[in-house]
Amino acid sequence: MIITSNLSKKYNGVSVLHIQNLEIPKGQSFGLVGNNGAGKTTYFSLLLDLIQPTTGYIKNNNVLVHESEDWKPFTSSFIDESFLIGYLTSEEYFYFIGELRGQNKADVDALVSQFEDFFHGEILGQKKYLRDLSKGNQKKAGIVAALIGNPEVIILDEPFANLDPTTQIRLKGIIKDLAEKQGVTVLVSSHDLMHVTDVCERIVVLEKGEVIKDLATNAATLKELEAHFAGSEMV
Amino acid sequence: MIKRFLSLEWKQFRRASYFQKGIAIKILLFLAVLYFGGIAIFVGGAMFFGLKKIFPEIDPIVMVNNFLIYWILFELMIRYFMQQLPVMNIKPLMIIPIKRNTVIHYLLGKTMLSFFNFISPLFLLPFSIVLLFQGYPVANVILWFFALMSITMSINFLNFLINKSNTVFYGIAVMVIVIVALKYFNLFDVTEPVGKIFNGLYNQPYLAIIPLLIVVGLYKANFNFIRKGFYLDGAVSKKIKEVNATDLSWMDRFGSVAPFLKNDIKMITRNARPKQVVLMSFFFLFYGLFFFTQKVYIEEMPYLLGFASIFITGGFLLSFGQLVPSWDSEYYKLLMSQNIPYRQYLESKWYLMVFAVIVAFILSTPYLYFGMDIYLIIAAGALFNIGLNTFITLFGGALNRVPIELDTKAKAFSNTNGFNPTQLLIALPKLILPIIIFFIPYHFISFNAGLIALALSGVIGMVFKNFFLNKIEQVYQKGKYKTIAAFSEKK
Repeated sequence: MIITSNLSKKYNGVSVLHIQNLEIPKGQSFGLVGNNGAGKTTYFSLLLDLIQPTTGYIKNNNVLVHESEDWKPFTSSFIDESFLIGYLTSEEYFYFIGELRGQNKADVDALVSQFEDFFHGEILGQKKYLRDLSKGNQKKAGIVAALIGNPEVIILDEPFANLDPTTQIRLKGIIKDLAEKQGVTVLVSSHDLMHVTDVCERIVVLEKGEVIKDLATNAATLKELEAHFAGSEMV
Repeated sequence: MIKRFLSLEWKQFRRASYFQKGIAIKILLFLAVLYFGGIAIFVGGAMFFGLKKIFPEIDPIVMVNNFLIYWILFELMIRYFMQQLPVMNIKPLMIIPIKRNTVIHYLLGKTMLSFFNFISPLFLLPFSIVLLFQGYPVANVILWFFALMSITMSINFLNFLINKSNTVFYGIAVMVIVIVALKYFNLFDVTEPVGKIFNGLYNQPYLAIIPLLIVVGLYKANFNFIRKGFYLDGAVSKKIKEVNATDLSWMDRFGSVAPFLKNDIKMITRNARPKQVVLMSFFFLFYGLFFFTQKVYIEEMPYLLGFASIFITGGFLLSFGQLVPSWDSEYYKLLMSQNIPYRQYLESKWYLMVFAVIVAFILSTPYLYFGMDIYLIIAAGALFNIGLNTFITLFGGALNRVPIELDTKAKAFSNTNGFNPTQLLIALPKLILPIIIFFIPYHFISFNAGLIALALSGVIGMVFKNFFLNKIEQVYQKGKYKTIAAFSEKK
């Protein structure tokens, strides 16, 4: 589904990301972990063509991301608050995204109603603009908006941060369900090792812009990751 | 403590984004300040002699006093829409061990240094000095001047209350409407008694104590208001209004651009900054009055009429349009990664501007009063605006990469968005082109030929709409990464 080849990004000659080769098959739940500045958000931004690669390319479903816009219809994402339109209410925002992705109001309502549990009564019918919601609630709205319109690829940057424990657990259920039952390719980054190992079939560790571990998740993965990050802390 | 505050202020001032700009812009800004300041001082100084010439039988100071009420109302209105309250900055000070009273005094003191407080002294100080040189009694003039300064300060503090409290806002609004209505229906002219009061201030200089007391009273009122609400959810918080989703589904008939149009309407009606711009573009409607009321322009410089007509219908186009991608800067990444072709995005902005020009044209119907010729030239100007200026504006927007904070009012003189040399260059054809298109056929053939040429240029532009939009789209595509990077920078 997503093929990354010889991809690098440099700012003023300083390399912030360099991925020789990375293939993410369709329907995989893919986790990206790494300390601050490891290049997680840079990679996601490249995937969304928000920044220009210095060398190499990313192919999303055989579309060259930095050359064609054809990846947009089947890819959706929530990276940060700049993906929200602050002066809309949650409902208006969902409908707007729905219209962009060819869904009518009823479609959007049907999809969103599945997540009432996840919203915990704090998103719908609030009579508040998104900019006036708390950080956690903004995130909930953003994540669900990324699910509108049956995307085949969903990219979520730090989806667990700022969420309350109940919502974190529910989000894990949602992500697992997407990849296992609906065949959606889900890309997630996180600082929370426990959550990624719970959710992702495959975990890639980035350090200073390079892939240094590529693990298929099993019972020992969490231990291995913890050992790795504890070790690099001591150095 | 005050010293620390001042050093904080100084840093805020020095490090503000508008000082980080190029030296050329700094010089331009400085010149602009000098220019407008100079004009104000000159007008203030010349006012005495001008009034004396026009109304020889009335003492200029009486004349000024009679009209002061209008100035006060005008200043109040301008401030309500333009003046940014400094309240938000005190959040970090709340948890530091500083006495609340000190913080509040500081906060209120800071508003006294607002740019808006210097407008009226710029006029009145030279006027008063002229009065002194003309041999008016020294004590009267000086105390009158101080009384007026106190009134300016009162407006300053009143504005604070109006902004923060709905009751005060509606109270003042009702009062203003009543005053205007009474005057309009010739029931009662409030300017006369008010003029008498101001003249009283001048004749009985000791009365200057009254405005001073008003300032002190308003200061106290403000102080108490903030003191009571000195909590995160009180006076220092932004008001969170309850909102109802608006149904704009009737706009769906515009097809694929409908979602963007609906969004833009919401953006304009729900954010402080675009509201301000729309209000300003409304004032552009009256721009024609400068030109059409003066015989000089109609008889000797008719090519300038083409210029004026562009402004009448193009207010929104010029003020809103030139900042086009910036309006969406807060969520530009979303737009760029969502399922949106650039083309549709640009087209929706085009429709919005066309719509605004048409509305402005309808509103400009009263200009018929100045004759059919004038009205026709406004119509031709509107066509030019729709057919060519929209595209020039969109094209210029591609070079504009200044993020906008939507829900923050622009501060006077910090509004340098779009204030860069390329932007200026782009603005030139918008204004000069219509003059040229109108003037050449006018000069060699006739007035009507000029009209037709101007209108025709607009029609041709509309015919080539797709071509222009394609070209503009390419320019936007090319600058995409730069624009995203610039918009995600913190202001």
